[in-house]
Amino acid sequence: MVEDSVIISARNVDFYYGDFQALKNINIDILRDEVTAMIGPSGCGKSTFLKLLNRMNDFVPGARLSGEIFIGGESIYAPEADPVVIRRRVGMVFQRPNPFAKSIYDNICYGPRLVGVKKPKELDELTEKALRAAALWEEVKDKLGKSALELSGGQQQRVCIARALALEPDILLMDEPTSALDPIATAKVEEWIKDSGLSIVIVTHNMQQAARISDKTAYFFLGELIEFGPTKELFTRPKEVKTENYITGRFG
Amino acid sequence: MKDAPEKTPPLDSPGIIRLQPKLSRAERGVKFFFLLCAVSALGSMFLIMIFLFMEAGGLFFSGDEGAGVGLKEFFLSLDWYPTYPDPSFGSLALVLGSLSVTLVSILLATPFGIGLAIYLSSVAGPRVREWLKPAVELLASIPSVILGFVGMVAVAPFMQNVLNLPTGLNVLNASLFLAIMATPTIASLGDDALSAVSQAVTDGSYALGATRWETISRVILPASLSGLSTAVILGLGRALGETIVVLMVAGGAAQAPHSLFDPVRPLTSTLAAEMGETAIGSRHYHALFALGAVLFVLTLAFNLLAFYLARRWREKS
Ligand SMILES: Nc1ncnc2c1ncn2[C@@H]1O[C@H](COP(=O)(O)OP(=O)(O)OP(=O)(O)O)[C@@H](O)[C@H]1O
Ligand SMILES: [Mg+2]
Repeated sequence: MVEDSVIISARNVDFYYGDFQALKNINIDILRDEVTAMIGPSGCGKSTFLKLLNRMNDFVPGARLSGEIFIGGESIYAPEADPVVIRRRVGMVFQRPNPFAKSIYDNICYGPRLVGVKKPKELDELTEKALRAAALWEEVKDKLGKSALELSGGQQQRVCIARALALEPDILLMDEPTSALDPIATAKVEEWIKDSGLSIVIVTHNMQQAARISDKTAYFFLGELIEFGPTKELFTRPKEVKTENYITGRFG
Repeated sequence: MKDAPEKTPPLDSPGIIRLQPKLSRAERGVKFFFLLCAVSALGSMFLIMIFLFMEAGGLFFSGDEGAGVGLKEFFLSLDWYPTYPDPSFGSLALVLGSLSVTLVSILLATPFGIGLAIYLSSVAGPRVREWLKPAVELLASIPSVILGFVGMVAVAPFMQNVLNLPTGLNVLNASLFLAIMATPTIASLGDDALSAVSQAVTDGSYALGATRWETISRVILPASLSGLSTAVILGLGRALGETIVVLMVAGGAAQAPHSLFDPVRPLTSTLAAEMGETAIGSRHYHALFALGAVLFVLTLAFNLLAFYLARRWREKS
């Protein structure tokens, strides 16, 4: 059944920062185990939409929402939904690497410790697993006690990925995860995204990147979802003129 | 690479032009004026210090009043009887007096100050913060003589009656008011330290499913620990140097305190109370300068500690 493979779905989502409408009637179905890229000009609402998916917009004063967002079939803005639980299932990696001023080990264990994992053996195993998954294990296995802030930017970003993976989330949200990284570090993170097998939603300004790593692409413009479809089609045969203008650089 | 130094001509060789902004006459005048300000400020501080230590030294050398006071007596004796026919000049009771009220006041002020700092930086909304932070800082501007007055006429009799004490002017009363004075310092500087933890990092914590309290206790507090200790130590310095409040409510007895309810005589109030009554050049006069020097060294030590912690904090972040 098609329905089963939908992991995120948004229905008639309008979103406001105070009086300013940042998202207009968004409807989208994102499939399980796919990489979904979000592109669009600056200020079009990509980050806003992404942060709705793990309720990080709850912290913005004056934020309002109408419509519904389902993750795994559950409405995440229903009154009984617990944002803390949602954020454990929906991990997030930010634009700039933001590791805690703690050791690499403590960074990875942060999430698991919050949910009550205490046994050293369990934490050790989970750290290795998460760091391997983020393709960082070989580089840091001998210095897990070192401060994460002493790593390079690319390594820090992978610590942040591993930190999110340690909670074994269903979904990983990434907001321009490589925009602060050099090409080599970017390549490593991209490689990881392609091979991870996770459901990933990634915001990017880099259209080549979207083309390289994503299965589906969504094009946002001024708070609207203009077009959403398989990446190859969207980049070779866009249905909308606005999309075509954007991807061919005739935008603005 | 080895012969590189030889290729670099010496900086003062002919043909080397030193680049610098060209200053007009007026600009040079202004520059000179500010240099003068800086030099005179530093110079006068330095002169005061020299004066302080020279006058303090007079205590330890023999003079008109006989042999000098021994270092051992000055630092280790509890007896401060400067006006007796057979005077003694032990500073220990006064130092203990200062340290006791300072430490107790910090024990009282730290939880309040840090708590307030946490509230300001991480709990209060922008609207509450907008008026609360200036209000807290305003608390620091209450003249200390007013606090001392309240301690004297309101808190002291109350304490004396309720706890059935010989006097309500004691360590606890003084510490209470010193704590009131140190709290705004700690809260304001502590808030700065906590607010310096970047939003990006706290977002990272929330995004991993941490609650607000988990984020404060596991991320924000550890990351700002040295900033917070700086705040506490500067608050401590404020309490240590405070004069009027302790003069009014600490009780004034030069003795080593054994409980919170003993009256004490801190260094500052001793200086303020006795300096006007001594003959210039007398032994007592020199002894007061020696107390001043001790106070100066203690304060300096606290400030250096704060400076050191603040620098370590900056290096880490
Ligand atoms: N906290 C906020 N308060 C008010 N308006 C906001 C806030 N955050 C974003 N906006 C506005 O909402 C719109 C969408 O912002 P958003 O950050 O989602 O854009 P974006 O597509 O991620 O842009 P970029 O590519 O530059 O990151 C912008 O017009 C922005 O000014
Ligand atoms: Mg953005």
